[in-house]
Amino acid sequence: MILAVLFANSEGNILVERFNGVPAEERLHWRSFLVKLGADNLRGVKNEELLVACHKSVYIVYTVLGDVSIYVVGKDEYDELALSEVIFVITSAVKDVCGKPPTERLFLDKYGRICLCLDEIVWKGLLENTEKDRIKRLIRLKPPTEF
Amino acid sequence: MADSSGMTLMDLITADPSTVSASASTTTSSSASTQPAQSSGYAASPPKSSSSSGLPTALGKPAGEKRSKRASLMQIQNDTISAAKAALNPVRTNINMNSIMPQKHKQKQKKPVSYAQLTRSIHELAAASDQKSSQKQLVNHVFPKLAVYNSVDPSVAPSLLMLNQQCEDKTVLRYVYYYLARILSDNGAQGVSTGGGIPTPNWDALADIDAGGGVTRADVVPRIVNQLTTEASNADPEFHARRLQALKALTYAPSTNSEILSKLYEIVFGILDKVADGPQKRKKGVFGTKGGDKEFIIRSNLQYGALSSLRRLPLDPGNPAFLYRAVQGVSFADPVAVRHALEILSELSTKDPYAVAMGLGKHAEPGGALQDVLHLHDVLARVALARLCYTISRARALDERPDIRSQFNSVLYQLLLDPSERVCFEAILCILGKHDNAESSEERAAGWYRLTREILKLPEAPSVKDSSKDKSQKTRRPQPLIKLVMRRLESSFRSFSRPVLHAAARVVQEMGKSRAAAFSVGIQDIDETVHVNTFSETLDSQDSDSNETSHPESIRRTSLSAGVGGKDTIASLLASLMEVVRTTVACECVYVRAMVIKALIWMQSPHDSFDQLESIIASELSDPSWPATLLNDILLTLHARFKATPDMAVTLLEIARIFATKVPGKIDADVLQLLWKTCLVGAGPDGKHTALEAVTIVLDLPPPQPGSMLGLTSVDMVSASDPKSALALQRLVQAAVWFLGENANYAASEYAWESATPPGTALMMLDADKMVAAASSRNPTLAGALTRLQRCAFSGSWEVRIIAAQALTTMAIRSGEPFRLQIYELLHTLAQGGVQSQFSEMHLSNGEDQGASGTGLGVLISPMINILDEMYRAQDDLIKEIRNHDNANKEWTDEELKKLYETHERLLDLVSLFCYVPRAKYLPLGPVSAKLIDIYRTRHNISASAGLSDPAVATGISDLMYDSKPTAEEPDVLDDDLVNAWAANLGDDGLLGNNAPAMSRVNEFLAGAGTDAPDVDEENIISRPSVSYDDLWAKTLLESSELEEDDARSSGTSSPESTGSVETSISSHFGGMNYPSLFSSRPERSGGSRFSNPSTGVPSFSEGLGSPIREEPPPYSSPATQRYESFENPLAGRGSQSFGSEDDERTSSGNPQNGTALYDFTAGGDDELNLTAGEEVVIEYEVDGWFYVKKKRPGRDGKMAGLVPVLYVNQS
Repeated sequence: MILAVLFANSEGNILVERFNGVPAEERLHWRSFLVKLGADNLRGVKNEELLVACHKSVYIVYTVLGDVSIYVVGKDEYDELALSEVIFVITSAVKDVCGKPPTERLFLDKYGRICLCLDEIVWKGLLENTEKDRIKRLIRLKPPTEF
Repeated sequence: MADSSGMTLMDLITADPSTVSASASTTTSSSASTQPAQSSGYAASPPKSSSSSGLPTALGKPAGEKRSKRASLMQIQNDTISAAKAALNPVRTNINMNSIMPQKHKQKQKKPVSYAQLTRSIHELAAASDQKSSQKQLVNHVFPKLAVYNSVDPSVAPSLLMLNQQCEDKTVLRYVYYYLARILSDNGAQGVSTGGGIPTPNWDALADIDAGGGVTRADVVPRIVNQLTTEASNADPEFHARRLQALKALTYAPSTNSEILSKLYEIVFGILDKVADGPQKRKKGVFGTKGGDKEFIIRSNLQYGALSSLRRLPLDPGNPAFLYRAVQGVSFADPVAVRHALEILSELSTKDPYAVAMGLGKHAEPGGALQDVLHLHDVLARVALARLCYTISRARALDERPDIRSQFNSVLYQLLLDPSERVCFEAILCILGKHDNAESSEERAAGWYRLTREILKLPEAPSVKDSSKDKSQKTRRPQPLIKLVMRRLESSFRSFSRPVLHAAARVVQEMGKSRAAAFSVGIQDIDETVHVNTFSETLDSQDSDSNETSHPESIRRTSLSAGVGGKDTIASLLASLMEVVRTTVACECVYVRAMVIKALIWMQSPHDSFDQLESIIASELSDPSWPATLLNDILLTLHARFKATPDMAVTLLEIARIFATKVPGKIDADVLQLLWKTCLVGAGPDGKHTALEAVTIVLDLPPPQPGSMLGLTSVDMVSASDPKSALALQRLVQAAVWFLGENANYAASEYAWESATPPGTALMMLDADKMVAAASSRNPTLAGALTRLQRCAFSGSWEVRIIAAQALTTMAIRSGEPFRLQIYELLHTLAQGGVQSQFSEMHLSNGEDQGASGTGLGVLISPMINILDEMYRAQDDLIKEIRNHDNANKEWTDEELKKLYETHERLLDLVSLFCYVPRAKYLPLGPVSAKLIDIYRTRHNISASAGLSDPAVATGISDLMYDSKPTAEEPDVLDDDLVNAWAANLGDDGLLGNNAPAMSRVNEFLAGAGTDAPDVDEENIISRPSVSYDDLWAKTLLESSELEEDDARSSGTSSPESTGSVETSISSHFGGMNYPSLFSSRPERSGGSRFSNPSTGVPSFSEGLGSPIREEPPPYSSPATQRYESFENPLAGRGSQSFGSEDDERTSSGNPQNGTALYDFTAGGDDELNLTAGEEVVIEYEVDGWFYVKKKRPGRDGKMAGLVPVLYVNQS
C-alpha cells in the first residue's frame, strides 16, 4: 500500500498530499514528520537523488525536484525499492508536465494537470501506470494504448 | 459576495508572485502549522479579509482558525446557495456568460478566487459547455483551482454530470471524471477525504443546516453511480476510453456500499466476458506501434481497465469466476493488466493455493505465460510473480503434486537473476521464508536450508532453461543459490543509491533471521565450512527434481564432511559479505546505518566474537545525529534477536549496556529493563550469573566525565556530558540497582524458603570475615550482587543509596542465611555510618571531629532493621520455646500454636510491605516453624495463601497479585520448565501485565506492526511512554527537600508512620516505571497502590502495620541490637530512643484536625492538592477559605500536602 504521496515547497508548506489508509488523526504526524525529515536532510541534495528512511515497518523515499520536495510513504510490497519506482514515475511525470524541474510557481501553474497525473499513477494506494506516454494519453482521456 | 471571500492557495495559482506575497498570507501562514517558521516569501502581512473569510483556508490543519465554525459554515452556505441560484437561472447566465466570464477572469488575475466563485463558475460554464471559450475556462482556470481543495461540494455534482453528458472536450471530461471520483470517495466522518489540500467543511453537515435545498452526498451519489454505470457499460468502441475512466471513477465508491459493489462486479465481469476469451496475441512490438489491430487494441484496453478495477475490488476467494479471469489476465497483452492479474493471483494463492495452481495449469509450464512474465518490463509484475511462486511452491495443499511445486519453484529461482533489485530481493526474501510478517521459525529455518543447499539449474539466461538438464553443457554449470545471492548482495552494497543500500541491508537482516531460526530449530548439521559446490554436485547426481522444496520435517540432513578447505564455503561467502556490510556503516544516512547495524546484530552468531560489532555500535552511538526512535528500534532488535537465540543473552546484554552508557538520554528505559529481564530469564541456569553480571556492570561504570572526548569509542566510557543524559544515566543506574535487588535471588536461585541450611548454623558464624567467605563460597552470584549493592549503598548519589538499601532489604528478606545476616550487619553499618572510626581502620581518628558524616540513610534503614530484628527475635523465641517443649517433653497447646501463628502472620504482613514473598511458603520464623504452623493451619482450616488477616486481601491489593494470576505468587513459577515457557512467550503471559508500555512496544515490533504515525519531537525524552514516571520523578525531585525536611524533623522516629512515608516516596518513584520483577506480576503497581490506595473504609495499611507495633513496642532485646548499642550513632541513634516520641511530636506541631474529602478536587496550581472524595486528610490550618491539609498517603501524583478549598473537606 502506498500510504502517502506528498509534495512540499522548500519552506515545508504542503502543496499536494494524497493519503491512503492513514487514519485522519495520524496524518498530521506524518505530515510534520516528513517535513522535518526533508528539512534535516534535503539541503544540498541533487535533483532526483533518492533518500530513504523508515519508521517501524513503513518505508519512506523522498527526493527534491526543483523547488519542490516529494515524499512517498509505503508499506508491505511497497518497500524502499518499489517506492523508488513510484517516485521515479512521479518525478518524470512532473518534469513532463512542467517541462523542467519546476519552480514553485511553475508547479502551481500546472497544479491541475499534476493532480490528474497523480491520479493516473497512484490509484487507491496502488501504483497504476508507469509509462510516461501512457499517462500523457490517459490525462487527455485517450485510451491507454492507441491504435 | 466574491469580495467577501477569503484568500486561498488560489492566489498562488492565479496571480503573479509579486502580488501574491502580499495577499496570500492567510493561506500560507496557516498552512505553516507544519512549519512554524514561516519564511520570507510569504511573510506575514495582516490578513486583510480574514474576518469575513468563509473558508478554512489552510493547507494542512486550520491551526489559526479560531472563528466560530458555525459562522464560517453559514458563510459557505450562503455562497453555495447563491451559486445554486445562479445555476438555476441558466437563461440569464447564458446571456451574460460570454460577456461576463472573460472579464471576470481578467479580474481574477488580480483578485483571489473563492471556493464559492469556483463552484459558481462551474455551474455557469456547465450550462454553456458547448462553447469553446467556456471549455477553455474550465480547463485552464476553474478545474485546476478546484483541485486544490480537499473535497468537492456535492452540490457541484449536477453540473458535473451535465458536463459529462454534454461536453465534448476530452480534457474537460477527464477533469469531470476526476471530480466525480472524488465526490464518490468516502469522506469519512469529518469531511476529511483522502485528497489532502485545503480543508473543506463537511458538506453534508452544511446541507443539513440549510433544510431548504442543501445537496448532500447521499443525494448525488446514486445519480453519479447511475450515470457512470451507464457509461461503463457502453459497448461503443469509440467510447471505450471514457468507459475506462467511468469504471475507474466508480471504484472510488466506498467498498462498504454493497449495492455499488455488486454493480461494479457485474460491470467488470461483463466486460471480461466480452473481451477476455478471445485469442491473446502476444506479438512483441505490438504496443505503441502504429497499425496494430484496432479491435485487438481496444480489447486489450478494456481488459486492462477491467482488471485494474477488479484489483481494487475486495478479493472474493471462493468465486471461481474471479480466479478464472485473473488467470486469463496473466496472458493479456497489456503489461499493467498482467501485473494486476498476478497480484490478484498471489493474494488468492495465500487463501487457496491449490485452486490457483490448478487454475494456472499450463501457464506455469516451461514456455507458459509465467515464463513470459520474466521478460515483462514491469517490475511490480515480477514481484507479484515471485510472491505467487513462493506461496504455491510452499503450499501444503500441493504436497501430492511435487511436479507443480517444482515448476513454480524454478520460476522463483530464476527471478534471482532478475536485473531489478526489487525483484531479486523479493525472490531472496521468498526463498528465505520471509512472507507477510507471519512466518514461523520452521519456515524460516527451511528458508535458510534452501538458500544454502539448493541450486539454480539455469545458468545465465532463463531462456536456455530447457538445455540445463543437458549435462553435456559444461559451460552452464548449475549455480548454488547462496553464491548467486551473495554475489548479488555484494554488488548491491556497492551501489550509491540509498534505497538500494537500505534494502540490501534489510535482506541481510532477514537472512540473519532465517539463519538464527535454522540454528534454533536444530538444523545444526549445516556445516558452514563446507564447500558450497559440494551440495550442487551431490544434488546433481541425485534425481533431477531434487530441488523440490523440503519442508522442515523432511529436511534432508546431509552430513558432508568432505570439501573443507574449498574456495567457497558458506562461511567464507558470509564473511566476505559481512565485510562489505560493515563498510556500509560509513553511509551518510542514519537510516541505512541503522539497518546495517540491525543486519549485523542478526548475522552475529552466538559463538563468534562480537568485538567488531561492539566497537561499530559504540562508535555509531557517539554520533549525535541518531534519532531516539531509531535507537530504540535497534534496542527492540536486540530483543527480537534474543528471542530467536536465547544463547545470545550475554552478548546482547553487553550490547545493551553500550546503549545504556552511550545514549542514556535517548533510549527507553522501560524497553531496556524488559530486555534485561527477558535475557535474565532466558539465559538458563548456567547463564544467569553472567547475565546478572552484564546488567550490573552498569553500576561499575565510572561517573560521567563531562567534556572528555578521549574515550568516545571506548565502550566503558560513559558519555553523558549534558545534564539531560547525565540524569538519564542516573536513572538507569537506579533502575539497575532496583533490578538487582528484585532479581538477584532469582538469578542466584537462592531463596529463604528453599534454603537447606538451618538458621542455627548461620547464627553461629558471627565473625564477619567468615560470613563473607561462607556466603561467597555458597553462592557466588548472590555474593557478587551483594557486593555491588553494598558499594552502591555507600557511594552512590542519595537516590541510588536509598534504592540500594531497599534492594538489600529485599534480598535480606528473600535470602536464607548467611546472606541475611550479612545484609543485616551491613544495614546496621549504614544506619550508624557516622561512627565510622569504629568500623573502619581507614578512618583512624587523627583528632579531628568526624562530624555528622553519616550515610543519611538512618531514617530509611531503621524500619528495615526493625523488621529483621523482629524476625530474628521471633526466631530466637521460637527456638527457645521448642527447647522448652522438648525439655519438658510436652505438647504444644492450641494457645501456644495460635500465638506462634499470629506472630508468623504478623511478620508476613510486615515483610510483604518491603517486597513480595510467596506467602504460602515464606517462613519468617525459619524452617523449623513450618511443622508447627502447618499443624495449626490444618487444625483451623486456614488456607495457606490468603488468610483473612492478610492486609493485601483487606485492602484489595490482593486483586493485583492473587486474582489476576494465581500462579504468579507460587514459587513454582521458578521451575525451569515454566521459566523457559515464560521466556518463550513472554509476550502474552499475564505476568508482566500486557498494559506495560514497553511490553506492547516490543510485541508490536516483533509482530512487525508499524503504521503508527511517527513522533516528531525526538529530542524530547519525555515523549516516551513512561511519561507518568517522568512527571512523578520531577515532582518528587522538587518535593524532595520538603520530604527530607519532614524526615529531619521526625528524625529517627522509626515509627511505622515514617516508614510509610519514606517507603511511599520511594515506591512512588518507581510506581510508574514498571520495574520488571520476577516475583510479582505488577510489583510496582502493588507497591504504589499499597500506599496510595485511597482509604477504603477497611483498616488501612499503615494502621495494619502500625497497630501491632504501637501497642507493644519492640523492646530491642535482640542480641544483635544489643551488640551495637555500644557504638550508637549520636545522630542516627535517636532512632532507637522510643516510639512514643513520635506521637508527641505530631500533637505538638499545632492542632491538626482530621477531615474527609467530600468531593473530588483537581489541583489548579502547584500549591494545591488533588483530592478524591472520601479521602482522609489531616487539616493543618486554614487560610482565606483554603485548608492546608496533609494526606495520610500520597495521592496518585505523589503529593502529600497542599491547599484545598474549605468547602471540599468535612471536618470531623
